[in-house]
Amino acid sequence: MFGEKAIELIRELHRASDGQLPAFNEDGIRQVLEEMKALYEQNQADVNEAKSGHSELISTIKFRHCSLLRNRRCIVAYLYDRLLRIRALRWEYGSVLPNAVRFHMSAEEMEWFNQYKKSLATYMRSIGGGEGLDLTQDIKPPKSLYIEVRCLKDYGEFEIDDGTIILLKKNSQHFLPRWKCEQLIRQGILEHVLS
Amino acid sequence: MFLSDFRKEFYEVVLNQRVLLLVASDVDALCACKILQALFQCDHVQYTLVPVSGWQELETAFLEHKDQFQYFVLINCGANIDLLEVLQPEEDIIFFVCDTHRPINIVNVYNETQIKLLVKQDNDLEIPAYDDIFRDEEDSGNESDESEPSGKRQRFEEEVVERTMKRRQRREWEARRQEILFDYEQYEYHGTSCAMMMFELAWIMSKDLNDMLWWAIVGLTDQWVQDKITQMKYVTDIGALQRHVSRHNHRNGDEENSLSIDCMRIAFEYDLCLALYQHWSLYESLCNTCYTSASLKLWSVQGQKKLQEFFADMGLPLKQVKQKFHSMDISLKENLREMIEESANKFGMKDLRVQTFSIHFGFKNKFLASDVVYAASSLMENTEKDESGTDNFIKALDSLSRSNLDKLHQGLELAKKQLCAIQRTVASCICTNLVISQGPFLYCYLMEGTPDVKLFSRPISLCLLSKYLLRSFIYSTKNKRCKLLPMVMAAPLDIEQGTVIMVGIPPQTESSDKKNFFGRAFEKAAENTNSRTLHNYFDMSIIELKMEDRSKFLDALISLLS
Amino acid sequence: MAEEQEGSDAGSEEVLLTPAQLIRSLEQAWMNEKFAPELLESKSEVVECVVEQLEHMEENLKRAKGGDLKVSIHRMEVERIRYVLSSYLRCRLRKIEKFFPHVLEKEKTRAEGDPSILSPEEFAFAKEYMANTETHFRNVALKHMPPNLQKVDLLKAVTKPNLDSFVFLRVKERQENILVEPETDEQREYVIDLDEDSQHLIRYKTIAPLVASGAVQLI
Repeated sequence: MFGEKAIELIRELHRASDGQLPAFNEDGIRQVLEEMKALYEQNQADVNEAKSGHSELISTIKFRHCSLLRNRRCIVAYLYDRLLRIRALRWEYGSVLPNAVRFHMSAEEMEWFNQYKKSLATYMRSIGGGEGLDLTQDIKPPKSLYIEVRCLKDYGEFEIDDGTIILLKKNSQHFLPRWKCEQLIRQGILEHVLS
Repeated sequence: MFLSDFRKEFYEVVLNQRVLLLVASDVDALCACKILQALFQCDHVQYTLVPVSGWQELETAFLEHKDQFQYFVLINCGANIDLLEVLQPEEDIIFFVCDTHRPINIVNVYNETQIKLLVKQDNDLEIPAYDDIFRDEEDSGNESDESEPSGKRQRFEEEVVERTMKRRQRREWEARRQEILFDYEQYEYHGTSCAMMMFELAWIMSKDLNDMLWWAIVGLTDQWVQDKITQMKYVTDIGALQRHVSRHNHRNGDEENSLSIDCMRIAFEYDLCLALYQHWSLYESLCNTCYTSASLKLWSVQGQKKLQEFFADMGLPLKQVKQKFHSMDISLKENLREMIEESANKFGMKDLRVQTFSIHFGFKNKFLASDVVYAASSLMENTEKDESGTDNFIKALDSLSRSNLDKLHQGLELAKKQLCAIQRTVASCICTNLVISQGPFLYCYLMEGTPDVKLFSRPISLCLLSKYLLRSFIYSTKNKRCKLLPMVMAAPLDIEQGTVIMVGIPPQTESSDKKNFFGRAFEKAAENTNSRTLHNYFDMSIIELKMEDRSKFLDALISLLS
Repeated sequence: MAEEQEGSDAGSEEVLLTPAQLIRSLEQAWMNEKFAPELLESKSEVVECVVEQLEHMEENLKRAKGGDLKVSIHRMEVERIRYVLSSYLRCRLRKIEKFFPHVLEKEKTRAEGDPSILSPEEFAFAKEYMANTETHFRNVALKHMPPNLQKVDLLKAVTKPNLDSFVFLRVKERQENILVEPETDEQREYVIDLDEDSQHLIRYKTIAPLVASGAVQLI
């Protein structure tokens, strides 16, 4: 049945829950494009035939055209949904993506990601006319100025403002200003301790 | 130096600074730490918390952080050695030491600038006078500078006499100093709980909360469970805490707006000292609590029979008693305490009830202070998974918060296993006569391959085992002299490295003052025999020893103490 | 609130707002943006003034001596305002990314005097986003497709904001004779009056112009 491969692509994304990015299905895309090429060529041939009198082919042509449109729609949906997931990664992980994720991205998606990063950075720097504002911080409303965090992995030295350095060793606990910890909490180095 | 005004001389000093907290690995330290953390969080004092389990970790942590912090707070460690000598800090670094270990090292007592002791000056401190220990080195150098030609010979003779007098005085002074120091440092013991000291700090700042009071109670109870303080001190401290409990938890009977059931309340209890009994079955608890199992001699057949008689005497059917405590018939649970006390008296157990406190929040959650102590310390010394010491420390610290009930329950289960393991080991040691008298002390060695021996490679568990074993031994032996002896116990620590862990505990008598001389004795014995020992634990009476050196070490110890 | 700042200027040259009023208008813009289904008018001056205000407050805080309770409270205030501002701008960015073809189209077909829904920087961002995405589609798939299928109309492909979604609002200025369109065939259009301080649940499309004019506040 036409469009089967295309629907497979969609299903694959649907199965990957929670915004996870599965590996780029280059094979799948290629197969759909091939199917489209085949359909198109068949249609080309039939159109010529129909023009010379075989009007019973018109429904077949129409049918193939619908399949072509459907295939295209699936492909574009697949690509677009992946872009949305990749965009979410910028907001969650920061500008450096973890390796596991990068392996699942195609070269073009990487390019899109880099462009997006740049656009976003330019925009954020332009806010307010001064130094700009980092919109990837302050994701949650601030409850308190300082929070207690626990170090989950050995990280080494970490500099907070005015030059003071903190040594982050596994299982040490620290009471620090909230905004300094946000980045490390998102990276999984620190864990917010609620007691 | 001792601080008299904790608020002005400690808290307000660190208020706008960053502080490093070095916390020892026992429940009292954890509780003190929780209280201090709560205070610091309230006032936005930035701190870093590093758990330390011995002198090596303390030193390492200090070296790693000494460039970033100026103020260090040591909780339940550091008082009994010369900190400045060991750590060699820069001159501007200040240590605040809140520690129960006694005697406090004499240098720590008299240093005015860098060592600040957050310690209650109990009247049993007996600090030697300054002049007996320290002496200005004024008249050692200027012996022969003057050269007066006239009357030289006369002067010379006088000088010689003077000099010899001074030298003799000096020698006498030094001898006396040695003696004083020896007496002072001979016996190790423990002072007022750190958690209680921190609570007092919170109280004088009017920042004390019910939660902090509970932690102070748990800290004190830890000292009692580990047999670190005398009965009298325990009762006195309970009295002091009772006043705070009344103040925080006082509710008029006829007040309309009583507290919601979810709020936390602390209540005074004169409850049974049966370990974990409300979270276990009465039967199991009786079998696994040292006091009852030793008194009834449960390792023997007659002991088991006596146990049945005990229950029969109280009219409690075995089926009921072996059920989970919560499922026991309510009619049986009424007046349970008085009933058990009465029967226990008949069976020679006069001290089955003890003054303590319990905490309530919500409908299901009620815990005695001792429950929390057992849970937290078993979490801290958990050998089940291969987790590092600091992982366990964090778990134990978390279990003290009311929002981490799952960890507390996990601790309770672990504690039950641990208590059962202790009882089994005690029973087997008694039955196989593993406890032998070496003359001045009793000795017991757990061989590798003994079941649960891994559990006893940890200091607190091993100490608990030794205390239980000693108590049971006292009940089991007929030898009157042996009943008054202290005990040394050893267990394998690391098979690969060939080390054992050894603890020494004082004799158990009615009027014991809990003072322990094994710390110094171990040091001396190791010195005399060149044994390879590691005095890493904050308690001097717990050491690590190479397996091969065991016998010569013991021989030295025996001759030292005879 | 930031009323006790000594010597703080209003910031903007045209409109003289006290800091308190400035923050209030930021919060109103934020709530409107959060609850409106479409991208609303761009409030660049408010954003600029708030950023300036924040810088001013930060400087004051740096000069103040630590440990004072007031310092903690003011710092908390700075954090809160920064959060509201970030949230507001993030909300707008998300809508721009979500409806990018429509947003750009609306901007392109905007009449001369109408206010812009995009700030110049947002406009640049939106254009880059669109170009980036189009390039991506083209390079990965479209250029390998049959010639008559290589052009995708993004206006049709990307969802439009649902202007029929319902929103809660509070009326700030009394409105009369608002025409409510019927939802089903059985109903007919009717007219309602909106009294001051009353709260309503109504379709966004009906009151969209009132949001823009500030006559109602979305909640």
